[in-house]
Amino acid sequence: MISKQFAIAVCTACSAVLFGCTKEPLNNLTQEESRIYTTNSDTTTNFGNYKTYSISDSVAVLDNGQSYKDLKPVDQAYIDAVNKYMQQRGYVLVNKENNPDLGIDVNRIYNTSTGYFSYDDYWDYYGGYWDPYYWGYGGYGYYIPTTYGIYQITQGAVSIDMLDLKNAPSKNKIDIIWNGLARGEGIFNESNADGIVKALFDQSTYLSTNQ
Amino acid sequence: MKIIRILPFFICILFVSQLNAQKGEVKMNIQYSYALPLGSFKSDVISNGSPRGVTGDILYNVSNKFSVGLGLGFQDFYQKYPRALYNTGDKEVTSAVLSNSVQIIPLLAKAEFYPLGGKPSMVQPYITAGAGLGITSFTQYLGEFGGSNNGGGFMAQGGAGIFVPFKKSGHSGFRLGANYNMVSYNKDGFSNFNNVNFQAGLFFPLK
Repeated sequence: MISKQFAIAVCTACSAVLFGCTKEPLNNLTQEESRIYTTNSDTTTNFGNYKTYSISDSVAVLDNGQSYKDLKPVDQAYIDAVNKYMQQRGYVLVNKENNPDLGIDVNRIYNTSTGYFSYDDYWDYYGGYWDPYYWGYGGYGYYIPTTYGIYQITQGAVSIDMLDLKNAPSKNKIDIIWNGLARGEGIFNESNADGIVKALFDQSTYLSTNQ
Repeated sequence: MKIIRILPFFICILFVSQLNAQKGEVKMNIQYSYALPLGSFKSDVISNGSPRGVTGDILYNVSNKFSVGLGLGFQDFYQKYPRALYNTGDKEVTSAVLSNSVQIIPLLAKAEFYPLGGKPSMVQPYITAGAGLGITSFTQYLGEFGGSNNGGGFMAQGGAGIFVPFKKSGHSGFRLGANYNMVSYNKDGFSNFNNVNFQAGLFFPLK
């Protein structure tokens, strides 16, 4: 006859071993696998209609409700990578004073406080940290399509926005026609910037002057 | 090599043993479980088999041929899919590594039937059926971002197998078997975590 104590011990041991062996998904991800790359685009836009672009010379940092401009090595790495892949797609970099068809902003977003960061806030105050005046359209507002992000951010993100400057005068607004977003481990690591921007472009094959 | 060495020992047991399932006895089964997803669970959530499972039953022998009791268990399913593109909105595409993780804890009323109960036999077959609650936890991650859905629903089980006592007229021994598990789940477009599990373990009397 086997004692109840023995049976309980066997059950407890089995349970402990099995629960301990449960595969925890987050522990089985590499840094690269932890990242997600999200793109939004205006599907009515023919990106082949745009030939030139200009990119901001610094990034906007959104840090727990504060925003400021910065240019750390990681920021420069993102700007360089965007230039590289835009030019691979046939776009020509011009000075922003030379009426570029497209404007590109790069943003670093942090949320180190508890709770969540809503992208609604990000878009609501977009004109605050990227004054349309910067793009030569002082007094204009931005039009943000409602489909653009409603993400909840718990760690941080890098966001790249493509602005339609070509049609801004006729529309009296600056449409954001493409947005790329990277989240996850290592996004603020300089050495990862090129691969992240490449991934965003790879999943946006329509970004090309040859449309 | 080890298996080859101990194989004659098991063969001897098979030929000399007979089961004596005494009426009124309470016994316990503890088994390791390997499970394979089926149906939409396999096609939509996890196709990999799960080597992380355990089952346990406490059964009361109503007669030499029939016992009833409770069954508990745990099975952990997990699969990581390579990076791919997912439509996450009308105009939104997300590239991510998708991880799915499902845990199932059955809490079942069970019955076992022994066709050869009371007859001397080196191997005793059994048929089992159970019904009750299947507690489920489903976690899905895109990259490192995701969430869990926990729930409970109806679960039914049917299976068959054999058990072999350690010694002649023994009340404890080995069990081998397989169960079909129907696990209800209906959230976020996913339905049912049906699976089949293969189990091996021990049985012994509690009193």
